[in-house]
Amino acid sequence: MTQINPEEFIVTDFAVREHRSLWGDAWRRLISSNTARLGMFVVILFISSATLSHFFWEYEPKKDLDYSLKLKAPNLTVTEEIPSIHPFGTDKLGRDIFRRVVHGGWNSLRVGIVAVGISLIFGGVIGLLTGFYETITMTTVERITLFGISGFLLGSLSAWIANQPLQLVGFTLLGLVAGYFEGFWAGQLKRVVFFSVLGILISAVPALFAGSSVALVCGVLGLLTGIFLALALDGRFFSNVMMRIMDMILSFPGYLLAIAIVAFLGPGLGKGMIAIGVVGIPVYARLTRSAVLSVVNKEYILAAQSVGESHGRIIFRHITPNILSPIIVQTTMGLANAILSAAALGFLGLGAIPPEPEWGAMLGDSYRYLTSGAWWAVLFPGLAIMLSVLGFNLLGDGLRDALDPKLRT
Amino acid sequence: MKADMKKLVEVRNLKKYFPGSESSFFHTGNDVKAVDDVSFDIYEQETLGLVGETGCGKTTVGRTMLHLYRPTAGSILFNGVDLITLGEKELRHQRRKMQMIFQDPYASLNPRMTVGSIIGSPLDVHTKQDRKTKQDRVQELLEMVGLNPDFVNRYPHEFSGGQRQRIGIARALALNPEFVVCDEPISSLDVSIQAQVVNLLEDLQKKLGLTYLFIAHDLSMVRHISDRIAVMYLGKVVELADRDEIFLNSLHPYTQALMSAVPVPDPDLADKKHRIILEGDIPNPADPPVGCNFNTRCPIAVDKCFKEEPVYRETADKHWIACHLVK
Amino acid sequence: MKHLLEVKNLETRFYMQDGVVKAVNNVSYTMDRGEILGVVGESGCGKSVHALSMMQLIPYPPGKITNGEVWLDGQDLLTLSEEEMQKVRGREIAMIFQDPMTSLNPVYTVGFQIMEALLLHNNMSRREARDRAGELLELVGIPGAKDRLDDYPHQFSGGMRQRAMIAMGLSCEPKLLIADEPTTALDVTIQAQIIDLVKKLQDELGMAIMWITHDLGVVAELAHTINVMYAGSIVETGKIHNIYKDTKHPYTIGLLGSLPRLDDAPGTELVSIPGLPPDLLALPEGCPFAARCVYRIDKCLAEKPPLVEINGKDHAVACWRWEEIAGMGSR
Repeated sequence: MTQINPEEFIVTDFAVREHRSLWGDAWRRLISSNTARLGMFVVILFISSATLSHFFWEYEPKKDLDYSLKLKAPNLTVTEEIPSIHPFGTDKLGRDIFRRVVHGGWNSLRVGIVAVGISLIFGGVIGLLTGFYETITMTTVERITLFGISGFLLGSLSAWIANQPLQLVGFTLLGLVAGYFEGFWAGQLKRVVFFSVLGILISAVPALFAGSSVALVCGVLGLLTGIFLALALDGRFFSNVMMRIMDMILSFPGYLLAIAIVAFLGPGLGKGMIAIGVVGIPVYARLTRSAVLSVVNKEYILAAQSVGESHGRIIFRHITPNILSPIIVQTTMGLANAILSAAALGFLGLGAIPPEPEWGAMLGDSYRYLTSGAWWAVLFPGLAIMLSVLGFNLLGDGLRDALDPKLRT
Repeated sequence: MKADMKKLVEVRNLKKYFPGSESSFFHTGNDVKAVDDVSFDIYEQETLGLVGETGCGKTTVGRTMLHLYRPTAGSILFNGVDLITLGEKELRHQRRKMQMIFQDPYASLNPRMTVGSIIGSPLDVHTKQDRKTKQDRVQELLEMVGLNPDFVNRYPHEFSGGQRQRIGIARALALNPEFVVCDEPISSLDVSIQAQVVNLLEDLQKKLGLTYLFIAHDLSMVRHISDRIAVMYLGKVVELADRDEIFLNSLHPYTQALMSAVPVPDPDLADKKHRIILEGDIPNPADPPVGCNFNTRCPIAVDKCFKEEPVYRETADKHWIACHLVK
Repeated sequence: MKHLLEVKNLETRFYMQDGVVKAVNNVSYTMDRGEILGVVGESGCGKSVHALSMMQLIPYPPGKITNGEVWLDGQDLLTLSEEEMQKVRGREIAMIFQDPMTSLNPVYTVGFQIMEALLLHNNMSRREARDRAGELLELVGIPGAKDRLDDYPHQFSGGMRQRAMIAMGLSCEPKLLIADEPTTALDVTIQAQIIDLVKKLQDELGMAIMWITHDLGVVAELAHTINVMYAGSIVETGKIHNIYKDTKHPYTIGLLGSLPRLDDAPGTELVSIPGLPPDLLALPEGCPFAARCVYRIDKCLAEKPPLVEINGKDHAVACWRWEEIAGMGSR
C-alpha cells in the first residue's frame, strides 16, 4: 500500500464554476423564456417596420387625400370600385390606414426614445448623484459644484417670482461660496446668520424694483435659501433638495402634468415628447437612487475608496454597472408607457399635428365613425398601440426575470 | 521581544462619533460613540489583534485608521505623519502604504468586474503602468495568493468564498503596502478554509514584511496570529498586552469572561474549564453607562465603577488596562 | 431500548436547471431520548437540509426527498401527509433557526407568538396560554418575563430573541428540539449564555436536542454524540470522546487541526485542508473527500466507503483506510 507523503501531495486545481459572464448568463435566461421571446419578436417587428417604412417607403401625409375612397372597409383584392388594395381599410379622408399605421410607428418610436431618453438622462444623473452623496463624503470640488447647482435651483424660484435673472446668478454664487467654506467661522450659528443675511440681500434688493410685496416674498425665500445652504453642508442636503423637487413633480397626476406642459409649450409631437419625458424624470430618479443606495454600502465600494479611487471612477466603474439591471427593465417598460402617453396626447389633439400619422391621433379622428360601422378605422391603430405596448411590457418582464440577482448565488 | 522595534502606526485619543439621528438639519439625540478615546501603537512587522463583540467599535477603528471615516477627534500617525492633517491628494498618496482586507468576500468584490481589473484597480489609480506590466503584476499577485494566474478574466461569482478572499488579499497587496488592516477576514469562511487563509496571511507577512491590524471576534484565531492583542468593549480598549500575557494573565474582568466563553474543541478541557458567564447584553453605544462602561455586566464591580471612569494606563511592562480594581 | 429517532437511508435531491444537487446522500443514524446530538459540517454539507427533510420542509420543487425513512417514536414521518405533519411540527419536533432577527415576526408581540404555538397544539384558553407563555419566557431566563410578553421583537436584543425562540420551541414540550446554528449569529459571551441555558433546560426537561453547527468547539461543550457530515454524507459518527480523542476520518482530523487552540505553542502552523468541498452537482464516484485527502489511494476514487462501526457500538467511520490512519491525527 502506498502512502502519499503530505509534502508531495498536490491538490487537484481548484474547482471553479464554469466561466460565464453575468450578461451572458442573463441573455441565456432571457431567450429561454417564451414570453420574453414573444415580447422580443413584437418589439423587433415594431422597430424594424417603423424604421424601414420611414426610410424606404415614402409617404407625404399632407398630400394624401382621396375623398372617393372615404371610409372603405379592408379589401385584399382590387375591385372596380376600389382600384387599390387597402388591407386595413381607409379613413374619413380616404387615406390607407395600413400605410398610416406603419408610418405612425415611426412617430411612436421617436416619442418613446426621446421621451425615455430625457427621463433617463436627467432622472438617472439626479438619482446617481443623490444616492451616491447621501452616504459618501464630498470632496471640496464636488461640494462647490453641487452647492452651486442647489443654489441655482433654489434661487430660480425667487428669481422667477421677481423676474430678475440677477438673483439666479446671485444664489448660484452663494451656493458656490457655501460649498467652499466648510469650516467657515467654525460656529454654525455665525455661518447661518451670515448666509441668511446674504440671501435676503441677494433676493430682496433686486426684487424691490418689481414692487415691495414681491421683495417681501423674495426676501423670505432668500432667507430660507441662505439658511439651507449654510446649515447642511453635506451631500444629504443636496440629496434632500433634489428628491423633494422630484416629489413635487411626482405629486401631479402624470397625464395632467404632461397636458399642462404641452398646453404651456403649445401642441406638436416634439413638445409632447418633452412633456412625457419631464413627467418621467422623478420615476427614474427614484429608481436610480434606490439602486445606488443598495450598492453604495457594499464593501467593494469601501474597498475602492481604501485603494484611493476617485469618486468619478467609483461611480463609473463600480456603481453604474451594478445598477444597470433595474434601469434596463424600467427603460423597456418606460418605452411602452411613453408610447401610451403619446397616444393619449394625440387622442386629445395635443400631440402630433393632424395630417401627421400618429396612432393616438388616428383613434381620435376616427372614433366618431364607429357608430356608422367603420370599425377598421379604430381597430387597427388601437391594435398597433396595444401590441407595441404589450411587446415592450413582455420584454421588460422577461428582462426582469433574466437580470434578477436573486437567482444568483 | 520588541523593545527596539520601530512604531509604524500610532493612534492617539482617537474618537469617532456617528450622529445619533437621521435628521439632516438638526442633530438631535445622542451621538453613537463608536470609538471613544482609543490609543495604541503598532510596531513594524507585528500583528496587533483587535477583539471585541458586535458593536464594540473594532471595525470603526480599522476604517478610521485608513481614513475611510473622518475621525471626530484624535490623531493617527503613520510613519510619523499625522494623516488627519493631510489634504486629499497627499492622503491618496499615503493610501498606497495602507490597505484593507474586508470581511465579506461576497460583498467586497464588484460582481461586474473581472478578477484582473479588480486586482489591477489600485495599479490604475496609483501607477502609470502599461497593460503588459500591469497584467504581469496581476498574475504575479494571483500566484502569490495561491490562485491560478490564468483566472484573470474570470468573474468573482465563479469562485468560492475562500478563493474570493484570496482575490481580496491580492488586491490589498497590489501596491506593496506596509500596513494592512484585516477586518474579520475569515469570519465568513468555512472552518477548513479559514485555516488556509490564515496560513496564507502569515506566509505573506513573513515574505513581504507586512504589519497587520487583525480585527476579529474569534479569540482563538486572534491568539494564533497576533503578537499583541487589544480587547475592546463599547468603544474603548479595555486591555492591551502581549498575546501570552492576555491569555495567561488577563487582568480585566471582561477579558477574562471573553476568554472563558470561547468554546474549546476538546470535551475534556470543556468540562474542566471554569466558565464566567456574563449576564445581560451589551449596552446601547448611544447611551453608555456612567462610570466604567462595563459596570452593567461586571461580576466584580464596586461603587467606584459606577461613578468614575477608569483610566487607561500601563500597569505592568507593556500591559495596558482600564479598570479600577487592578492595582 | 427503542430509539427516539431513527433515520434510515435518507436521500434528498434538488432538481435544478443545471442538474441534480445531491444534498443529502444515504444518511442513517439513531438518536435516543434525552440525547444531545451535534451535527457538524461546513456550509453546504447537507446538515441543515437533512433536518429540514425530516420535518418535510424542503421546498418542492426543486427539492425532493427521494429515499429513506425517518422513524420518530414508531412513526415514519416521511409517509405522513401535510396535515399530519403539521401536528408533528411544533408538538413532537420543534426547530430553532440561526437568525433570531428574521425568525420572529416583527409585527406581532413576542408573547402572542409564543401563545400562538400553544393555542394551536393544546386545548388551552387564551388566559392559560398567556400564563404559560410567561412561564416559558421565565424558564429561558428573560428578566421580568411577564412584563415583556407584550414587547415586540425589535425591543429584544439578539440574545433575548434567541431565548424567545427557544421558549417557542419548548412551548409544546417536544420530544426533539432541532437547533439549526442557533448561536452562529450571536456574540461569544451571549453564545456562552445560550449554551449554558440549553444545558440547564435539557437537564430539567430531558428532551432530545439536535444541535446543528459548523463549530466543533460549541458541540464539544454540549453534545453527547457527534455526526460529522461532508458533502451530504455522514463521514464519522460516535460518542463525543471517540470523535475528539480517537479521531479516525481524515476530514475530521483536518477539521480539528485547522482550529487554533488556546494551548498551541506560538508559531505553530495550522493544519489546513487543501482545496474545496466538491460541487454537489457533480459528486465524484468514490469517497467525496478523496480529492482533498492526503491519505488517498486509488480505491478511494473508485468506490464510496460505507459507514462501518468500529470499537463496538459507539463509533463509526466512512473511510477505507481508517485502521492505518488511526491515531495519527488525534492530538
